[in-house]
Amino acid sequence: MTSVNYYEKGGDVLISHQEKKSRSIWINLLVMAGMVTAAWATLPAKPLMAADYAISGESNTILRMKTTIDGKDLYPLYEYLRFSVVSKEQDGSAISLHLGGWGRVDLGDKSSRNDHADGDLQFGYLSYQGARNNLVVNAGRQFVVEGVAAQRLDGLYARSDLAAGFAAAAYAGSPVVTEPNLTADDFVGGARVTHSDKKYYTLGISALWSLAGGSRYREEGGVDLWLRPITQVDITGSSSYNSITDGWMEHAYTASFAPIENLRLFADLSRINYSDYFYRVTTSALVFDPLTNGIDPNERLLTLGGGGSYTVLKNITVAADYRHYDYDIARAANYYGGKVTYWVPESFGAGFSVHRMDGNDARLEYLESRLYAMKKLGKATVTLDFIDVNYDNPARMNDVENALAVVVAGSYEFDKNLQLGASVDYSHNPFFDHELKGFVKLTYLFDMNRSAEGGTQSEK
Amino acid sequence: MKNSTFLLIIMVPLMAWSLCACANTASVARIHPEAVQGLPNCTECHTDSWSALNHQAPDFMIKHKIYAGSKFACTSCHQESFCSDCHAHKEEIKPNDKYFNSPERSLPHRGDYLSQHKIDGRINPASCFKCHGRQNNERCITCHR
Repeated sequence: MTSVNYYEKGGDVLISHQEKKSRSIWINLLVMAGMVTAAWATLPAKPLMAADYAISGESNTILRMKTTIDGKDLYPLYEYLRFSVVSKEQDGSAISLHLGGWGRVDLGDKSSRNDHADGDLQFGYLSYQGARNNLVVNAGRQFVVEGVAAQRLDGLYARSDLAAGFAAAAYAGSPVVTEPNLTADDFVGGARVTHSDKKYYTLGISALWSLAGGSRYREEGGVDLWLRPITQVDITGSSSYNSITDGWMEHAYTASFAPIENLRLFADLSRINYSDYFYRVTTSALVFDPLTNGIDPNERLLTLGGGGSYTVLKNITVAADYRHYDYDIARAANYYGGKVTYWVPESFGAGFSVHRMDGNDARLEYLESRLYAMKKLGKATVTLDFIDVNYDNPARMNDVENALAVVVAGSYEFDKNLQLGASVDYSHNPFFDHELKGFVKLTYLFDMNRSAEGGTQSEK
Repeated sequence: MKNSTFLLIIMVPLMAWSLCACANTASVARIHPEAVQGLPNCTECHTDSWSALNHQAPDFMIKHKIYAGSKFACTSCHQESFCSDCHAHKEEIKPNDKYFNSPERSLPHRGDYLSQHKIDGRINPASCFKCHGRQNNERCITCHR
């Protein structure tokens, strides 16, 4: 496996990527500045917009406050911005532009290894959506999810329904990677073909290829399915194959059965071959070695899980779940527990859960509890979240037997477009006797629909 | 250029166009006709395949990867930034911090995750890989050198 050759290539590669990163930060910050300018410039332009344009955007200004293990006081200030312009054509098709990114400035000590400022363009693409055939053509930085691919790329993507229940998607471009981007791939392409029956099933076959300097870097193929043989049954799953290592990476299948409206039973099964699955990783955290992290690179994991949820009374649901982890080399583990929730949307909600982990390592034996509550009081919302982990073997957790975290949060809606929220997070854990973190978030939404469209995109 | 290559360049787009033209299915609504709040249970209105998308179901999180294969349907309600909140290639704020006033959501990394990540990484490292294997792992190098 040649996944982390950052360590083999030495200083030249590091310098090269640092320079590249530095340039990338400034480009991203410039793009962010351009987005802010464009977003605000559209506000006075409102009366000039044509009838079928819709402009929407959201600004999130976030301040985090914390002290690190080595005593640094961090006050990173973030600006997250998304911006969309949609032009709806007479025939029902639409052309749209979507931009999203963030920038950060450290008001206190440096919060990362490198600069006091950083930023990233998360997505930025031009899209055409056809009125027929679910035709989509995107160009730019985007997140592609098609079978074996869950890939962010700078490039092109197209999909369309075809005749006789078939549909096809294809994409090609440059993978978006961050440092340590090392000697990662510089081209990725792939395709997926599906056959669907609107009522009963979708079956897909997909492949992904990537190249680094013209050489094979990743080659993955797979099948995926979504079956609904009867209304009450829903089965999903996928299998993926690594044709460079010549082995199955993963099989993962889930099934759910809802015989009556308030009862849902579910089960899942997965098989992961570490040497095929953890291929071309870009972090040493996922490079396995029994001597350093206790995990064998040839390990194989089989998980079997299941559970059920039952809505006892309106708004009250009880649920139980169980998962068995079986390894070829390490010893098995079991995770099981239950949960009770009470939820009245937009008013009050609470939940309590308890789970037990019986693992193959002293660190994997613990009892985990969580209690949370949310209450809306007019324009204000308050939430409480309490998480406790009780370890059987404190000696393996810096002699801490009980780790707890408490989050108290509140938010206030000044109007439908402006919201201010804050949270305080206290924890006692294996790294801190007492840790206190703060979080403040100011959200501003700007939406201007220039047409009589039906609903709104209520979810971010 | 060989004749066969020339024919391929002509025939493949023509065939794709023909297949598209024959399909003639109506596209999914670009914007969901009803405004939806919180975690919707799609069975409340839908009786077709979309009824499977019950966001309140305890196994929705584990299945959403397959549902996302129909991303053109997700975009009826979700902005692209909703995917990026978790599936970023570079991100510094945990999803549960961004949604600090939505404790009901199934979001990873709640509580003292600095300690917990050692446990999750041991029990099933594939759960880390999907978001941090080849992207969004800049901060891992702070400890994992």
